[in-house]
Amino acid sequence: MPGHLYILVSLALFFIGTTGVLLRRNALFVLMSVELQLGAGSLALLTFARGLGDQKGHVVAFFVMALAAAEAAVGLAIVVSVYRTRRQIDLDGINELRN
Amino acid sequence: MNYVLAGPSLLDKIAFVVLAGSVLGFALLTITRKSAVTALMALIGAFCAMAGLYATLSAHFLAVLQVLVYAGAIMVLFIFAVMILNRDEEHPIALRGLFVRAAGVLATGYLFYRLAWIVVHEQRTEVLATSITLPIPEYGNVASIGRLLFSDFLFPFEAISLLLLVAVVAGVLLARPPRPARPPRSSEAGGGT
Repeated sequence: MPGHLYILVSLALFFIGTTGVLLRRNALFVLMSVELQLGAGSLALLTFARGLGDQKGHVVAFFVMALAAAEAAVGLAIVVSVYRTRRQIDLDGINELRN
Repeated sequence: MNYVLAGPSLLDKIAFVVLAGSVLGFALLTITRKSAVTALMALIGAFCAMAGLYATLSAHFLAVLQVLVYAGAIMVLFIFAVMILNRDEEHPIALRGLFVRAAGVLATGYLFYRLAWIVVHEQRTEVLATSITLPIPEYGNVASIGRLLFSDFLFPFEAISLLLLVAVVAGVLLARPPRPARPPRSSEAGGGT
């Protein structure tokens, strides 16, 4: 398939992720939307790697994957710890750093 | 155009349309569902379909890793978090400050529209023309990616392993339940803080 279609899918996916980050209140859904954005970035990397014919994009996509795992671990731990102290994960209600 | 582009076969087109449609559909489901479990299942579907898209780009190693890491490991983390938190929200879309957020979404939408316009108008460039023939026969398989990973990208590879270790320690430290109240002896010894 021509590469620009993959880039268009990647753009649409990143837009969906951005909409989720902007509109959702629940911190879990915001983290899921961030995962969607990272996936869209990986898709664009792999498309351009295929078009350029080298594999460095694959390695960078691999690093993005490891980064997403680290981000999910730390982000979810923060959400759980915030839920323990505040009894809510509504991002509009969490507006101070110390409790 | 000074090079001949071998056209995709009908099966390629069907696979691309099905995979891209399910990626976008599952992603839309993810951000619109009220229940966190439903959204998670849709997210797993989106990641599996995305692995299929990677495979059509002949990135087979990354496709397998996508299923293993995203649809496997990261989703297990999310499922545990949902188990701990486990509450559906009554109003999934934030109503307070909706105007500003809607303006943000519209602005991003316009930005992505312009980007898509650029991509569509530059689709004849050589970078975007994904030809059928592979650059090298072993493009995207485990051996060639691994060779690259352990030669040119050795330092970033080690750095990212350190990052993962730090993230795991930070996750344990943050999600650990708070310590019970100190025994009275130590609080007496410490005095009033």
